[in-house]
Amino acid sequence: MDDGAPAGNAGRTRPGPTTARTRARVGRLVTRAGLELAALLRATGPYATHDPTGSRAATRGLPAGSAAPPPVPQARLALVVATAGALHGAVMGSFAGPLGALYSAAKIPLLLGLAPLVCVPSFRVVHAVLGLADDEPAARRAVLCSQATLALTLLALSPLLVVAYASSSRYHVAKLVNVGVFALAALAGQLTLARHYRPLLRKDRRHRLALVVWPTLHLFVALQLAYALRPFVGNPRFPTEFLRSDWMGNVYLDLLWSLRATLG
Amino acid sequence: MPAFLDLDRLLRGESTRPETLREGRVDLSAPRLVLATLVCGAVFGLCLGLFAATGETSDGAWQLLSSALKVPLLFLLTLLVTFPSLYVFATLAGSRLTLLPTLRLLVGAVAVNGAVLASFGPVVAFFTLFTTSYPFIVLLDVAFFVLSGAVSLGFLSRAVGVLFGDAAQGGSQGRAKLVFRTWLLIYGVVGAQMGWLLRPFVGNPAMEFVLFRHRRDSTIFEALANLLRDLGDGWR
Repeated sequence: MDDGAPAGNAGRTRPGPTTARTRARVGRLVTRAGLELAALLRATGPYATHDPTGSRAATRGLPAGSAAPPPVPQARLALVVATAGALHGAVMGSFAGPLGALYSAAKIPLLLGLAPLVCVPSFRVVHAVLGLADDEPAARRAVLCSQATLALTLLALSPLLVVAYASSSRYHVAKLVNVGVFALAALAGQLTLARHYRPLLRKDRRHRLALVVWPTLHLFVALQLAYALRPFVGNPRFPTEFLRSDWMGNVYLDLLWSLRATLG
Repeated sequence: MPAFLDLDRLLRGESTRPETLREGRVDLSAPRLVLATLVCGAVFGLCLGLFAATGETSDGAWQLLSSALKVPLLFLLTLLVTFPSLYVFATLAGSRLTLLPTLRLLVGAVAVNGAVLASFGPVVAFFTLFTTSYPFIVLLDVAFFVLSGAVSLGFLSRAVGVLFGDAAQGGSQGRAKLVFRTWLLIYGVVGAQMGWLLRPFVGNPAMEFVLFRHRRDSTIFEALANLLRDLGDGWR
């Protein structure tokens, strides 16, 4: 892959040493950020899932015989989730004004972080029951990488959200666009999860069950948490609030009652 | 000027030779092409602003200046809005291009767009002298934006075809190609709406000069339909 200076520099004025150094530093930083993001999405390098069957995902792209890089600390992945989530939250909540942006910037990292945390005990038990306890740390890491992908995809889609907000002040349009953005980000998260799970599936097919249980349980909890933490977009016609007065309600019962009322 | 030498190499296809693209390399200087795009955009912007400047309003010079600034801004903002999501989804789909080559490729496409648009500038200026119909000039400008966009998307589509063409269809590179081609559509829609958000570019002679006339809850697609209807009314 070519990240170096392009050809055809004839006639170019030589920059001063400080400018050249700064430019080189920025270039290195951007290249590194891009490579890190690509490694996370492709499940390679320091983001690769530990592969007991000896696949070379961790050393892909490195010279032959290179040792696998140390895995990225989980705290760093959590920091990525929190930062990207907060930035996207700020954009998402800006529909209701600066206070709405501030509230959503606090609530999106909570949504992305708390829902998986609530599921961790069940996740561990499921792995233990399936006889996969040894692989549980690798599986947990895969889930964290998937959450980081979800948060980063949300952040990457934020500029599109800005254009949508600038184009329409209708609350239901803003809600629909946000649903679409979350659906796309969730899809990206699932793709990354599947990619990180590949080595585990090669080792033991029972991981397939864990791969079904996790997203189902996570979705179940995340929907309730999202219901409790709403509003995220905020209807500008109503006063901005951190949580709705009925935040202790149950989303599934609410849906059931709405269904019964609709059917008479 | 090195920026225009680079643009010339790009238009002649010397910067996107199949043999280098097949290696996953994009030999373009993004900063220089951005500079060339800014200049090309400003040239076309000046031609757009001529309609207001040659009209009877006193603030035509402001429109000229604002159009010259807003057309380059339109290119850069559209790229800024669409690039992050393209990179994430192309990488997820298995694209072998890393961040900087992906950015260089897209900057190349935007530079082609700017160059083609600037080449239409004299035509716009010519018609400005021969018409007082505001809907006609706006539709002509939109047609040139669409044409130049189509040419640049054709360039990008060809480059993507070479970059990912060797891979079997349906494989990871085939999926990456699909993501890039879907992006072309998103880029077009976002670019059109961005143009609507940054309007006026031409300057309606019946209205006072404003830097931005945007009112939320309207899209360029509704506005174009209305303009076509107005043009039709004029013929009756």
